[in-house]
Amino acid sequence: MGFKQKQHDNNGFEIANQAGAARTGTLQVGDTELKTPNLFPVVNFYAGGTSSSLYGGGIHRTMKEFMNGDEVINGGDYSEYFDGVMTSVASLTDYGITKERYEEYIDTPIKERDLFDFDGVLFIDSGGFKFLGDKTLDGSDFEVDVDQRTIIEIQRKLGADLVLNLDRPIEPDDDYETRIQKARMTAQNVDQFLELTDRQKQTRYLTLHGYNYSMLNTFLTEIEKVIGKNRVHREFDGVALGSLVPLKDNKGKLITAVSDCREVLDDWGFDDLPLHVLGISSSAIPLLAAVGADTFDSSSYLHAAINGKYHTSLYNTEPLDDVDFSNCDCPVCSDDKLVNWMEGDAEYQKDKLGAVSMHNLIIQKEEISRVREAISKSGTDGLIEYFEQSLSRHKSMQQHAHRVVNDSLGGYF
Amino acid sequence: MSTTKTPQVNEVNEFLEIASDFEDPLEVIRESLSNSYDAGATEVEITIRDRPIGSEIVIEDDGDGMDYADLESFFDLGNSTKRDPSSDAIGYKGHGTKIFYKSEEVLVNTSKEGTNLRAQMEQPWEKLNNRVMPEYEVRERSVKEGNNGTHIRITGFKSGRGFSPSSLTYNKIEHYLKWKTLAGSTAHYFTDDYHEMDIYITLGDEIDDTQETLKLDNKLEFPDEQIEPGEGKFPESRMCKHYPPRELTVETDDGDTAIIEVVGMIGGKDARNELPTYGKHSAQFGIWLAKDYIKVERVNEVISHDNEFLHFFFVANCQDIELSANREKIRNKSSSIYQAIKEELSHYLSKIASDPWFKDYLNQRRKAKLSRRAESQQSSVEDREKRILDREQFTPSNDAEVVLGLERSNREGALPKIVVEDYDPSVEVNALVKQDDSLYASSIHHKLTDHFEADKPLESVDKIICWSYGDPDQLSELERHGYHGGDITFDLNTGRIEYQNGRKHNIHIVSVEQRFQ
Repeated sequence: MGFKQKQHDNNGFEIANQAGAARTGTLQVGDTELKTPNLFPVVNFYAGGTSSSLYGGGIHRTMKEFMNGDEVINGGDYSEYFDGVMTSVASLTDYGITKERYEEYIDTPIKERDLFDFDGVLFIDSGGFKFLGDKTLDGSDFEVDVDQRTIIEIQRKLGADLVLNLDRPIEPDDDYETRIQKARMTAQNVDQFLELTDRQKQTRYLTLHGYNYSMLNTFLTEIEKVIGKNRVHREFDGVALGSLVPLKDNKGKLITAVSDCREVLDDWGFDDLPLHVLGISSSAIPLLAAVGADTFDSSSYLHAAINGKYHTSLYNTEPLDDVDFSNCDCPVCSDDKLVNWMEGDAEYQKDKLGAVSMHNLIIQKEEISRVREAISKSGTDGLIEYFEQSLSRHKSMQQHAHRVVNDSLGGYF
Repeated sequence: MSTTKTPQVNEVNEFLEIASDFEDPLEVIRESLSNSYDAGATEVEITIRDRPIGSEIVIEDDGDGMDYADLESFFDLGNSTKRDPSSDAIGYKGHGTKIFYKSEEVLVNTSKEGTNLRAQMEQPWEKLNNRVMPEYEVRERSVKEGNNGTHIRITGFKSGRGFSPSSLTYNKIEHYLKWKTLAGSTAHYFTDDYHEMDIYITLGDEIDDTQETLKLDNKLEFPDEQIEPGEGKFPESRMCKHYPPRELTVETDDGDTAIIEVVGMIGGKDARNELPTYGKHSAQFGIWLAKDYIKVERVNEVISHDNEFLHFFFVANCQDIELSANREKIRNKSSSIYQAIKEELSHYLSKIASDPWFKDYLNQRRKAKLSRRAESQQSSVEDREKRILDREQFTPSNDAEVVLGLERSNREGALPKIVVEDYDPSVEVNALVKQDDSLYASSIHHKLTDHFEADKPLESVDKIICWSYGDPDQLSELERHGYHGGDITFDLNTGRIEYQNGRKHNIHIVSVEQRFQ
C-alpha cells in the first residue's frame, strides 16, 4: 500500500486568475483536481466506532453517511462538497481507541475501504498542535511515541494524498527564543519528512509558523539552515500556515499573518506554491483569500451545528429553533425527511445535527465558490463588489473588508 | 342625526406662524436665490442697505418673471406653483416667501411676456400682529417683450433678534451663502446641463465698505487637490483629496428606495481654510445632508467615533429627506428611509476613512505633532541648559535632585558621609541612608518645611534631609502651636529637631546646601 503516483511534473498548482493578491487556480493532487480557493471540511473518519458503523458515532457518522450518499439520508449525491477533506492523525486519539482497533483501523487506506465512497483529496494533518504537549498517541490500552517517522507512517497507512511534516506550532505569547527553538525542532522533522517521503509519490506541504513577516522569515530561515537552500526551494508542493487558531477571533491579525506569509513566500521565490491556512474558516475565508490564501480547512460547519447554529450565510447563523428551512434550496433543506430531522423529528440527535452540519458545510462550500467566481472576473472589480455586498455590510467585519480592498485590491478611490 | 364638519383654519394665525419660523434675515436672501433659480435666472443682484428709516433688501434677477398666478402664489400660503417634488425646483410648499411678511413693506416689480406687474404690500407684519390679513395692490402695465425679470424690495425687515444690517459683512454673507444656500450647491457634480447662476451682493458702504460687490456662483467648489504632504512644520496642513461624485442606492427593509448623491473632500487645516468659512470650523465641517443640493443638517455620527469629523467635508444630497417649513431641519428623521440613508452613508464613509491616503494624511499629522513635541523638548532642554549656565552653584529644584546633591556633597568631602542606599519617592519615609555603618529612616525634601506641609509623621523618621530649611517663620509657628499634638523645637544651629508627643524623639536635620559651604 502506498501513495498514489503523481500524474504531473510540476508542483501541481496552476494559477488561472488573479485579482490583486487573490487568485484562483487548480490544485492537482493525484488524479483529483481541486479548484482554489477551496475549503477542506474536517471529517473524523475514525470516531470511535467500528467499520459496521462507518467508524464512528454521533454527528461524524451522519456526515460520513452524507459523504457516501447512504439510504439513511435518502441517498443523494453530496460528493461535490467532499472534493477535498482534511483529517488529522491526532483525531485518532479523540476516542479511546484500543490497540486492536487502532491496528485494524490503520490497516487499510481510507479511500480503499469499501465502506467509504470517497474519491476527493485526502489531506492528513500531522497533528502537531495536539502533540505539542503530550508527545504520545494515547490509546485505551497502548501508547505510541510520536515522532516524524510515526506520523508519516500513519499518514501513509491511511492513504493520505496530501501530507504535512510534523510541526511545532507557536503560541501568541512565545518569546523569540521559544519560537527559534520550535522552528529548529520543526526543521529537524522537515529534514526527516523529506527523507521518508517521495515527492514523485506524495504531495508534500511545508508547515510555517509566524504572525508577521519577520517571524515567518525567521522560521523559514531556520528551516533552510537545517535542510539546505536547495531542498527548501525544490522539495515542496505547497505551504501550510499554522498557529493561527488562537487568533481566530482577531481578523486583523489573521489578515496580517496571511498577507505577510504570502509576501515572505513571494520574496523567497515560492510565489507559485499554493498556500493553505490551517484551522481557519467562516467569515475569515474571503478576507484571507483576498490576500493570497488558496485553501483552508475547518470543522466550524460541524461545531456550529453541535451548538444549534444553522448557517444562513458564511457570516451569519440562526438558532436552529428559529429557522425557516424553506428559505434555503440546498439539497438538505430541499429534502423533507432531512428537514423533519432538523425540525427535531429524528430518532437520534446525531441525525438532527448531522443534517444541520451538512447544510452548514454546503453553505460554506457555496460561498467559497462565489469567492472563486468573484476572483475570476476580470480585474479586481468582481472581488471588490463581492466584499461590498457581503462582509463590508457587517459592522464588525467592515474595517477588515475595507482593509483587504485597500491593501490587496487597489482600493476604492 | 349626524353632521359633517370641515376643520377651519385661522388664516392670519397661519401666516403669522409660518413667517415666525424664519428668524435669520439672511433667510430672506436664501429664499430669494431659490426663487430666482427656479425662475431660470442667470444673474441675481442683492443689495442691502441700512437706511435711517430701516433696513432695505433689494433682490433683482433676470429670470422669467411672474404673471398674476405666480404673484398670487408668491403672496399666498401653501399655493406653490412648484407642485412637483421631483422637479429640480427648490421647495414646493409655498412657505418660503412668507418670510417677506416680516417687514414694513414688500414691493414686487416683475415682468413676464410683455406684462409688468407691480405689487405693493404695506405694513404686513404689523397687520398680521393686529390679526388683520394684509392686502397687496397690483398694477399692470405693458413693457417690451423679452425684458423679463423680477425686482423685489423688502423694507424694514423684522427679525426675532432684531435685524441689524450693520452686523453684516461680506465675509459673513459669503459664508452663509456658500454654506446654507444654493450658492453652495453640489448639483453641478451630478448633472451635465447644470443651470448656472451668478450672484452679486452689494452692501451699502454704511454696512461694509471693504469691497464694492461680492460675486459668487451657485457651485460648491472644493480647494485644489494636494495629494502629497507639503514642506515645513505642518506637512499635512495643505493636503487635500477630493472624493468624486457617487450615487448610492438606499433600500429599506420594506422596499422603499432612495438615491444619495455624495461628493466631498478630506483636507488639512490650510486646505479647509480655502473654503469660505466664518466662525468656528467645528460648526461647519463633517458630513452634511442636503436637499435640492443645499446643505441642511450634519450627520457626523455616520463617521466612526475614532475619526475626527473636522477633516471631512462631504455633502450627501437626497431628495427623500423632508424639511421643516424654514428649511432649517430635517422633518422625517423617524422614517425608515432616513435611517437607511444614514446606514448607507455610514458604510460609504467607512470606506473613505479606510482610504490609505487618509491614513497617510493622519500619519503626516501625527509626525507633525511628534516633531512639535520634539521641538518643545528641545526648547525645554535649551532653557534648562541656560539656567545651569547662569547659576553659580548646583541648586536642586525637586526632591530627586536633593538626593543628587547629597551624593555630590559626599564626593566633595562633606562630613559626615551620608549615602542614600534606598530611595522610593512614592512612600512616606522615602529614603534609607547609611551613616557610619548604620541605616537611618529618612525623609528627603527640597525644603524642611515640605515635610510638615505634607503632614508626615515624625515618629518613624531619624533624619530629614533637605536642601534648605524653607520659611523660618513657618518653623516658628510650628514651635508655637506644636505638631500632631506634640511639642516641637528646631535647633537649626546644631541641626536637630526635638519632638515630644508622649515619647521624646530626636531627629537629625541635614541641610545639603550647608554641606557645600
